[in-house]
Amino acid sequence: MFRVIPYIMMTIALLFVQIFVLDEVSIALVLRPMIFPLVVLLLPIEWRTVWVLLVALATGVLMDVSLGGAGLYTATLLPIAVMRRWVLYLTTHRSVESGDQTSLFSRMSQRQVMIWVATMLAIHHVMFFALETLSFAKPLHLIATMLLSTLLSALIATPIVQIYCSKIVAK
Amino acid sequence: MYRLIEFIKRIYVIVLFLLLEGVVLWNYAQSSPYTEAKILSRTTAVGGAISSAISSVEHFFSLPSMNRMLTERVAELNKEVERLSLAEGVGVVEGCDSVQYDPHFKYHPARVVSMTTSRQRNFVVLDRGFEDGITKDMGVVTPDNKLVGYVVSCSEHYSVVQPMLSVEFSTGGRLVDNGHVCVIRWSGESKYLVEAVELSVYSEPKEGMEVEVSSERLPSGVLIGKIVDFELNSAKSAYSAEIEIAADISRLDNVLIVENSHAKELEELKEVVGM
Repeated sequence: MFRVIPYIMMTIALLFVQIFVLDEVSIALVLRPMIFPLVVLLLPIEWRTVWVLLVALATGVLMDVSLGGAGLYTATLLPIAVMRRWVLYLTTHRSVESGDQTSLFSRMSQRQVMIWVATMLAIHHVMFFALETLSFAKPLHLIATMLLSTLLSALIATPIVQIYCSKIVAK
Repeated sequence: MYRLIEFIKRIYVIVLFLLLEGVVLWNYAQSSPYTEAKILSRTTAVGGAISSAISSVEHFFSLPSMNRMLTERVAELNKEVERLSLAEGVGVVEGCDSVQYDPHFKYHPARVVSMTTSRQRNFVVLDRGFEDGITKDMGVVTPDNKLVGYVVSCSEHYSVVQPMLSVEFSTGGRLVDNGHVCVIRWSGESKYLVEAVELSVYSEPKEGMEVEVSSERLPSGVLIGKIVDFELNSAKSAYSAEIEIAADISRLDNVLIVENSHAKELEELKEVVGM
């Protein structure tokens, strides 16, 4: 069963860390970790896409207002909301079956969850940096930013996902 | 009705996603001049490529009439070459993709990719851009030397032309018979007529008189059209005339972009004298 209050607290913590820590600390030009997509990714897979889309919209708008993205954060979160189930099936061959009584996350291994999260983060980061730059004049720099930022985001996301799967998602 | 409801239930999420994504991307595109310019450039390139593919099919079916017109033009040019080669000390140079009729003017062939003729501000998109040496303000004529308009914007592979059929269009004109100058504009009322204003009272216009371009961007002899009607203004200080456009702008396919190699020098001279 999905626990709403712990999820909301996790969301607030994630957004706080993203807005006030990760975006303020400048590690390197090519290292820009973004963990706020986890707010959308860690919603129950069983949820209908329209509700996930609305959560993505709300999160994206909040990020855009806080960080002056002018729609950039929302534009990259909405596709994530729509692609979740499809990418989950592609990476882990797991899907939501009608009649499932327990959360899919609770039945997946940590490895499967992390593979899926890392793939979704990679897709998000590619879309984000491509939209932000709108230019392929420096392709190597762009690719390096996408790769290294994805790696760092996945690294920071790993303990968060572990805590989420063990504490928030009930078995 | 049931099937319609089922269909809407299946697609409403995608429709909602496309709607939301469209709105945020539009907002992001408008957020700064950089994003606006970048996205406009990309969409122009994509739109141009699609229009180019579509116009290729249309172009294929217009080849017979185009061949006939080009053949007639080649014949005229051959006569011109013969005449110039007989003149002492004058030569004509041919390039791979352009022919110099006049030492200062160079012609770049181009194809129309897309165009509009039903609006007040119409435009024509050509398949030549910066990479082909095209720049803003170059004149555009038909292969038989009739005025189309002027280049107003370029990207790497495409350029946008403001044709005569645009309320913002303006150029100098000159009566062929007597050399009197006027200003050519489009009133936005008819696709076949432009108006000549500020025509001197001494010009004695007549129906059927030809009007050519008077502009440093184009060589002499570029035809605008023929006078079909004229009247004296209320102050009796100038004539205004209606000119039937010579070029069939709604059926444009192949055009020539005219490059004046002295354009930069003329611009610098104008800046010096404060024009």
